Amino acid sequence: MPLPQRTDERDQREEPERFFDSPSAEALARDVDEPVVWFGDVHLAYDRPILKGVSFTLRPGTTKIVLGGSGSGKTTILRLILGLLKPDAGTIIVDGTSVAPLSEEELRDVRLKIGMVFQEGALFDSLTVGENVGYRLIEDGQLGEEEIEERVREMLGFVGLATHYDKMPSDLSGGQKRRVAFARALVARPQIMLYDEPTTGLDPITATTITDLICKVRDLDGVSSILVTHQLRDAYNVARTFMLKKDDEYVTSVVEDMSTLEGTEFMMLREGAVVFEGSPHDLQTSTDPYIREFLS
Amino acid sequence: MIAESRTLAYLVSLVRRLRERFLQSVLSVQDYVLLSWRGLGAIVTPPRYTREIVAQMDSLGVGSLSIVILTGMFTGMVLTLQSAASLDAFGARPYVGRLVCVSMVRELGPVLTALMVTGRVGSGMAAELGSMVVTQQIDALRVLGSDPVRKLVAPRLLAGITMVPILTVISDTLGIFGGSLIGIFNLKLSWEFFWRSVGNALTINDLVMGLAKPVVFGFILSSVGCHMGLRTTGGTQGVGLSTTRSVVVASVLILSSDFFMTKVLLLLFPVT
Repeated sequence: MPLPQRTDERDQREEPERFFDSPSAEALARDVDEPVVWFGDVHLAYDRPILKGVSFTLRPGTTKIVLGGSGSGKTTILRLILGLLKPDAGTIIVDGTSVAPLSEEELRDVRLKIGMVFQEGALFDSLTVGENVGYRLIEDGQLGEEEIEERVREMLGFVGLATHYDKMPSDLSGGQKRRVAFARALVARPQIMLYDEPTTGLDPITATTITDLICKVRDLDGVSSILVTHQLRDAYNVARTFMLKKDDEYVTSVVEDMSTLEGTEFMMLREGAVVFEGSPHDLQTSTDPYIREFLS
Repeated sequence: MIAESRTLAYLVSLVRRLRERFLQSVLSVQDYVLLSWRGLGAIVTPPRYTREIVAQMDSLGVGSLSIVILTGMFTGMVLTLQSAASLDAFGARPYVGRLVCVSMVRELGPVLTALMVTGRVGSGMAAELGSMVVTQQIDALRVLGSDPVRKLVAPRLLAGITMVPILTVISDTLGIFGGSLIGIFNLKLSWEFFWRSVGNALTINDLVMGLAKPVVFGFILSSVGCHMGLRTTGGTQGVGLSTTRSVVVASVLILSSDFFMTKVLLLLFPVT
């Protein structure tokens, strides 16, 4: 995959045509309709290699589901997108900005566009649910207290926890914590959502409430997302569930025939390398022995 | 031949391990210096988290009052008893107040207060920040646009630097007061005599030494607590390790820096 050459990080949002300067990269840009996240041959190693030349593209409004066993480097991809880790080699572009060379201060602007749901929620123990959800808005200091409270209550309502505003995270169940984390990630209306194993450790019914939320955000707000998971059932649920809002009510439709699905791509990692990338149908019909074993 | 090659292999692995450990230590010291530097920078430059600063001052200062009062008081009392026993041998019992107050202000007050606060608060800082690391709350802070050094480290450093000297003054006062109680009820000295000898003994140099040390100790205990907490790896077990390490490292640093500071301060402010 050719690397897109960036000319000017700061200006490219105002002047998107300057983003790509080589003909091959321009062709790529047309092809992928300006990727929101672009990984080009990313390598990372600590004591052992974590990622070995990972490349992929996330197109606007689509969902990429990253599958893989423990230690395959799934979560590392999300940490790299957020700039929490720096790659040893390769390029990571998030909404037109190369994140690897940015300082912590410069990364703030990029992180504002991203909402992240951590594995166990990662709620701040010392703050109430309301303060947790409104954290980013309080830090920004641009909105007044009343506006922030209104937005937070709206978000908590969206995840079905409107009555939990004053509770402490320790009073919540595992599923409720993930939903609050969801609301916290959504409160600044991000363009990209990252989910790090959001259903791990939850019972199937609670897990479905989480996958429904992922679908809601994708279908109603057009947010692009990357879902990292090893729960195949939840991954399929996200791929084939679609949400509509009709007269203030959410209508769910489930597509049974996987071959017609669009907007969701699967990617499978094995020991830091991409071993599969394709549609849900491609995944189901793959003959690769590792993938077959993973799916069984 | 086989035995020789085994010995060689063992030596090679030993050298490798020692090198690894040495490099880890250098890295840790480098991280510590960087964190402290950034922490101090965050104290003197805006934005500051006033709510966090007040909360830390309350937790470190007000929260440690009871143990500091008890420690100071009992130290002063036992010091008076022990000193009196030794001074009696030279018939110098009336000097006990002088000895107790100078020892408390110059040495025991600052060191014991710092060690007690390290045990109570330094370990708590390491545990709190350590569990924030393992539950990804530090990552969440960064993702949500906060600088963990500004939000977590700077308020703790400021609380340590300001509150430990105040606690030391309280400990010194209570120590001398405890000593005076023993002087009156046990050693048959008069209240007035004891306190007059305290007043005569203390000089401005003693106060400088007694107040310069706790500022440094406060910095050490909070910076080591934060450093150990933020370097936590390996889940809840790692949190326990960080907590223990923070207390051990901070205590050793406090005691060793006390020696060097005393040496320097004695040169700058000699005993008159």
